[in-house]
Amino acid sequence: MTAVEQHPRHRLDELLQNPVRFSIVAALDRASTLSFKEVRDAVEITDSALSKQVSLLEGAGYLAVGKSFAGKMPRTSLTLTKQGRTAWNAHLATLREIAGLE
Amino acid sequence: MENRTPVAPADAQLLLDRADQLSRSAHNATRWPYITFILSLGVATSMGTLAMGLTTGNAFGLAYFGTLAAAFALIMFFMISIRGRSAFSRGRRWTGYIAAWFVTYAAAISVVIWAHGSVLWSGVTSALILLVTMACAAREARP
Repeated sequence: MTAVEQHPRHRLDELLQNPVRFSIVAALDRASTLSFKEVRDAVEITDSALSKQVSLLEGAGYLAVGKSFAGKMPRTSLTLTKQGRTAWNAHLATLREIAGLE
Repeated sequence: MENRTPVAPADAQLLLDRADQLSRSAHNATRWPYITFILSLGVATSMGTLAMGLTTGNAFGLAYFGTLAAAFALIMFFMISIRGRSAFSRGRRWTGYIAAWFVTYAAAISVVIWAHGSVLWSGVTSALILLVTMACAAREARP
């Protein structure tokens, strides 16, 4: 058995290949924690579309969703988890490799 | 595996640029009130504890109430300026900044209580408040 070198694209994170999920995690990269509204405005999508993708990222352990109240208004915060950051950094490293930057 | 969309080098570069731009704009829209607050809090409490540590009588009272008033004004301004952008304040990084400030502030207040009049210890602990808060602000302000 000889090891066949795979193209780096095979190492791309499947979950992060979706453009919306990619943008959500990108928006959280520097800030780490943002509100649902801030991420929605940064990614420029509807609440329902964001909600659907956030659930998938939360299910994969990439995001932690926090709920709180300001008076009677519910506030949702999104935090990039350690697992999410590791996956994101690996995904970016692979993209850099494909782009010929590494 | 077979369903993966091939990613060309130019596409990868576009994705990297997009990620960087999104990350920067989302962070920029949030961070400045936090940077301003931690820096102002550091300056106000550093100067306040230094003044409290080295003065007595009416001057001490003025330093004490002046620091309290400045801290109160800063907190009020901060709360108003982060309305709708308060999620970051519940993050681990911000909690770490406030904890770092609190530890140095507690040390400076301890000097005011137990080593009142000591120029050396007042200077060291007040400088420490300034250093720590400046480091936190600089970390958050980096491009």
